[in-house]
Amino acid sequence: MLRTQIGDLSLPSPLLTASGTFGHDPAALAFLQPGDLGALVLKTVTPEPRPGNPPQRMAEFPGGVLNAIGLENKGLDYWRREVAPQLEQVSMPVVANAGGHSVSDYVAMVQAFSAMRGVAAIELNLSCPNVQGGIQFSTDQNALAEVVAACKSQAQKPLWVKLSPNVGQIQPLAIAAAEAGADALTVCNTLMGLLVDWRRRRPILANGTGGMSGPAVKPLALRLVWEVKQVVDVPIVASGGARCADDVLEYLVAGATAVQIGTASFRRPQAISEIAQELRQILEQEDLSLQELRASLVWPNPVSC
Amino acid sequence: MVAAPSAASVIALVEEHRPVGPDAFLLQLALPQLPDSLAPGVFAMLSPEDGSGPEIARPFSLYDCPGPNQVSFLIQTLGCGTRALAALPPGSAVRCTFPLGNGFQVAAAERTVVMVAGGVGSAPFLLYAQKRVALGAGANTHFFFGARSGERLYDRQAFASLAICSHFATDDGSLGFAGNVLAAVEAALADNTIPAEALFLACGPAGLLHGFASFARARKLDAWLSLETYMGCGYGVCNACPVPTEAAGALGAWPYARTCTDGPVFSLRDIQF
Ligand SMILES: Cc1cc2nc3c(=O)[nH]c(=O)nc-3n(C[C@H](O)[C@H](O)[C@H](O)COP(=O)(O)O)c2cc1C
Repeated sequence: MLRTQIGDLSLPSPLLTASGTFGHDPAALAFLQPGDLGALVLKTVTPEPRPGNPPQRMAEFPGGVLNAIGLENKGLDYWRREVAPQLEQVSMPVVANAGGHSVSDYVAMVQAFSAMRGVAAIELNLSCPNVQGGIQFSTDQNALAEVVAACKSQAQKPLWVKLSPNVGQIQPLAIAAAEAGADALTVCNTLMGLLVDWRRRRPILANGTGGMSGPAVKPLALRLVWEVKQVVDVPIVASGGARCADDVLEYLVAGATAVQIGTASFRRPQAISEIAQELRQILEQEDLSLQELRASLVWPNPVSC
Repeated sequence: MVAAPSAASVIALVEEHRPVGPDAFLLQLALPQLPDSLAPGVFAMLSPEDGSGPEIARPFSLYDCPGPNQVSFLIQTLGCGTRALAALPPGSAVRCTFPLGNGFQVAAAERTVVMVAGGVGSAPFLLYAQKRVALGAGANTHFFFGARSGERLYDRQAFASLAICSHFATDDGSLGFAGNVLAAVEAALADNTIPAEALFLACGPAGLLHGFASFARARKLDAWLSLETYMGCGYGVCNACPVPTEAAGALGAWPYARTCTDGPVFSLRDIQF
């Protein structure tokens, strides 16, 4: 009932983990029931190890969290040695997520992931707001097109491109990514934000700014999904604040093919299984299919005043 | 590594709130089931299931297992997360991910153990004290418990009634030793009430832990801390609770350890603190 197709990739469900919110390896899958998760999207990996930012790395506000983890990860060599072999034992598709500072970094990651049997698709994180360098890939359509085209020429797996919401217009960037060969677009990464401890006259996060996620960002991400859907034909993977079946259906109606669940898994490690159950119930009770709901949003006619 | 799959995320039911001081309470929950053996110092991530709390759950050390499938947590009402838990009437549902973290290893009976707690930092030590008593090692188990005033020595009767050596300290002198809990430990070392070769365990607010860390380093004590770092998930997936590691220590292969899955209990040798 939940089976979902993203390009050539067939997934058991439209619910995916979001990179950086379900770990660096498959261990946390123990919290989920088989069949509920469409694909395990793992934490960003970079060519070199990155220690990440000093603490404080996360803080809350009503409706969401702000994070500046700084892409802590042990690097590609470690991942190839320790994580990739575990993925071959995992019964569902795994999406590896690549980070970097330059076109050659991303190409190296795509080549490496393409050679790993346990990796079903590759998501390019061109849009992390918490690291220095590489920002042009998420804001400049020429730079974006260049890195996507270079990666696509080397990719032997479906290539997903994760877009940033921290731009004035997302449509030109979505078009650039799709024309450069992206097989799917993930919309979107975290929104740059700031939380302040006014007594100390300091940002709460050691990095200064951070990325906003959680329910507060859903309306913005929904708008971006809808805008992207107007201009590209590639599948859209939504990401931003989803925590229940209604949220997921809203994204599907707005044009997404699948939805990543991120921050919601922190408080509820089995959130994805619970949402999957809720989705099946709704579809059954209301006699609906995901297929007929997708991109079914009816836009109101403009009213002149 | 992520939390051992033995951790489960379940709906627990609030059975009882018992005030244990002006700003703290014991939250007793009924769980569908309880693992056979629980190390002192393991923790749970708790949040109201009705969504009345913040997006992020709060970590609490297991305080006691009062009955079959019952657990209790010692909670100081501090911010929005703890206030939301405090407001839940009996029968309410609590999202509970448990048991998490490594916990303290209970030392062999021959070894003297010195536990040092400030405020709700006593939480992991009730179980520890119970396990020592069960080993017949109560006589060489010392519990130093400090707070601003006697009424903030939360639930001290629970410790006083165990056959261990409890030492209370208050800043205002209203109960026990007058002064800081570390000064009480220092006095006990000086008059040989406790040996410097003992195993020292500490838990409490950051100020106490920092003081304890320099105290223990200066005296080369075998010291372990249970940290109360802010956590996003509690089960190893979000990387929001880093603690810098000591390059020469057991965790030195990487600059940060995760408080939730590598800890929350660390040897002072292994972390920069
Ligand atoms: C703690 C944390 C770490 C994250 N790390 C990454 C990351 O490494 N790579 C990435 O592409 N996105 C990362 N993200 C963004 C998420 O994948 C997701 O796009 C975003 O959180 C919005 O979805 P949500 O509201 O469901 O969490 C991170 C988000 C959080 C909260």
